[in-house]
Amino acid sequence: MSTSLRLVTIFFALLYFVVLVILLKNGRLALKYSLLWIFSGVLFWIAVAFPDLLVFVTSFIGIEVPTNGLFAISILFVILILMSLTVIVSEINIRIKTLVQKISLMEKRIRELEDILGTERKNIVK
Amino acid sequence: MKVLIIIPAYNEAGSIIDVIDNIDIFYPTADKLVINDSSTDNTKEVLKQKGVNFLDLPVNLGIGGGVQAGYLYAYENDFDIAVQMDGDGQHCAEELSKIIIPIENGTANVVIGSRFIDKKGFQSSAMRRIGINFLSGLVRICTGIRVRDVTSGFRAVDRKFIEIFSKDYAQDYPEPEAIVTVAKAKGKLVEVPVVMKERKTGKSSISITKSAYYMIKVALAILIQKIAG
Repeated sequence: MSTSLRLVTIFFALLYFVVLVILLKNGRLALKYSLLWIFSGVLFWIAVAFPDLLVFVTSFIGIEVPTNGLFAISILFVILILMSLTVIVSEINIRIKTLVQKISLMEKRIRELEDILGTERKNIVK
Repeated sequence: MKVLIIIPAYNEAGSIIDVIDNIDIFYPTADKLVINDSSTDNTKEVLKQKGVNFLDLPVNLGIGGGVQAGYLYAYENDFDIAVQMDGDGQHCAEELSKIIIPIENGTANVVIGSRFIDKKGFQSSAMRRIGINFLSGLVRICTGIRVRDVTSGFRAVDRKFIEIFSKDYAQDYPEPEAIVTVAKAKGKLVEVPVVMKERKTGKSSISITKSAYYMIKVALAILIQKIAG
């Protein structure tokens, strides 16, 4: 790996963690959803710090050019993160559905109570 | 026995009152609950004006999510039997007793009103019948239960399945999947012949473009339910 390429990758690996930490600190990213991001970032760091390791691993799998190995691993992680996002969306969907159903049941009870109270409620509001 | 008729409605202002009036004529002892699934027309106003019991979903959930809200209501309010009936007038109130009686006398846990036993009334288009037959075959292979009209939304369930469906019910296109749920819970399912009408107003929730999605989604759902055992 050439020196300039190493410098560029180190820069982006740093930037990646800075952005991650800022998002976590601001509370814009929940820690429980960021574990995959942190883990892939750590792997990225290891690859940058020990390029020989990357070369060894990729040639061990049977990939001739280390860069292709890097691409393959990156794509694997992107797919993993996308899948976890879909899982999260599905969970949120179920929660919203349950909330909407419960709200509608409660709204009905409130409506009925208001009908019974009728004028009294208007007096309270005044 | 306390009977609740759940009527999912999305933009059915033109037909919902007829549906309610017919139930009052042909099955006056039942309670009715319309699920207004965030209609964009004046369904809600019509229901309010008429003084009909209704749930008002703040965001659109689709037929499954809406009907499930009805099952939740039935469960919380101790109903013994819950009936699903469309708000567009294609299911006839005259037929209600046919699907309720088998549950009242304990011969079934779930009853499905079927167009395809006596082959009377509206029979749907040829394309749709092919799709329904395919799903029917798939359900039969996966569960061993033969249901001809797997997509029929005219059904009655007992207390046991009110509870099950209040906890577990598919959000969109739930009808064929619910049959697999019944089979898994070892429920006794009976299909009875009914006559259905062609809808008078509004649009079917399943357009031609959605049909492919419908078939794939439902077929997968049945298979996955089967694999999940």
